[in-house]
Amino acid sequence: MSANENSSGGGTVEYIQHHLTNLCAGDCDPVTHKAASFWAWHLDTLFFSIVLGALIVAVSWRLGKNLSADTPSGFQNFVESIIEFVSTQVKDTFPGHNPLIAPLALTIFVWVWLMNFMDLIPVDLLPVIAGLFGIQYLKVVPTTDLSTTFAMSLTVFILIVYYNVKIKGVGGYLKMFLFHPFGKFLVPVNIVMSIIEELAKPLSLGLRLFGNLFAGELVFLLIALIGGTLATGLAALFWLPLQVVLDLGWLIFHLLIITLQAFIFMVLTIVYLGMAHVEDH
Amino acid sequence: MAFDMSKPDFSGLALIGVGTMLTSMTVAGFLLGYGVDKWLDSRPVFMLLFGALGAVGGFLKVYKLLSRGI
Repeated sequence: MSANENSSGGGTVEYIQHHLTNLCAGDCDPVTHKAASFWAWHLDTLFFSIVLGALIVAVSWRLGKNLSADTPSGFQNFVESIIEFVSTQVKDTFPGHNPLIAPLALTIFVWVWLMNFMDLIPVDLLPVIAGLFGIQYLKVVPTTDLSTTFAMSLTVFILIVYYNVKIKGVGGYLKMFLFHPFGKFLVPVNIVMSIIEELAKPLSLGLRLFGNLFAGELVFLLIALIGGTLATGLAALFWLPLQVVLDLGWLIFHLLIITLQAFIFMVLTIVYLGMAHVEDH
Repeated sequence: MAFDMSKPDFSGLALIGVGTMLTSMTVAGFLLGYGVDKWLDSRPVFMLLFGALGAVGGFLKVYKLLSRGI
């Protein structure tokens, strides 16, 4: 469905809402197509995130088979530079040694970046193609879905708790909740405050990524609407070039945002896991 | 590279999350309060109390991060 078709039929609000609705299966609301309970599946989110994950695996596997120490290919150099970049971040930030952290950070960085990159594909392209196959709704950017961002941040949260318990022991971890930040005279307040602080970590990770990408997608939709709603007749001579310029501008700026958000998610994961590895913080 | 377990330097990179930490501490407080209120059927007592605690904690956390690291 393009902006043009929709604006003549249903208006701009419907156009935006349609683009922001996931392809839902399972327990979904029949009218709004939104998830009605926990047991709803966002098929488009699952599809694109799994495909992009599989792409990383396939490219890595292929590259791993053709590695060359003497004459590395251009792509090998490119991948090596990314690995070195992530490895430097881990070395600078992470105290001690844990063989899981660097691969985890690399996976997060590349996977989140690729999922974010879906935002740069023209907003109507994939939904129109899907429409040809009878798929009514398609939201192509997995990171504009709270399910994705919270799934990732909760995984990180589980790792944080796991390493806290592993390094400090159950007693040591629970002791952290008692005396921080107000000392030994306000233990009940300290407990609540520490729980809030722990909960805030996955919450901020998930919401930051979701918010930035959702807002970015919305701006792309609004820019697409310029051509869709205003470019009729001679006015198109003014509005269409404006749409192209704005789209290009936002695309270039957004390229920075998607990289930055992937970087922030990665770095904060390393920092939080690093905090779990030290005795007292 | 040698690691010093006693003096980790998170201060620089952790600052990336300062902005959202302030808001998410408040939100986390409200959410925790919401859960406790649902459990004890006492809405909105704990929601407000923990929300306020979260906001105070958020400011405190940001102040600590900005002044001397974690």
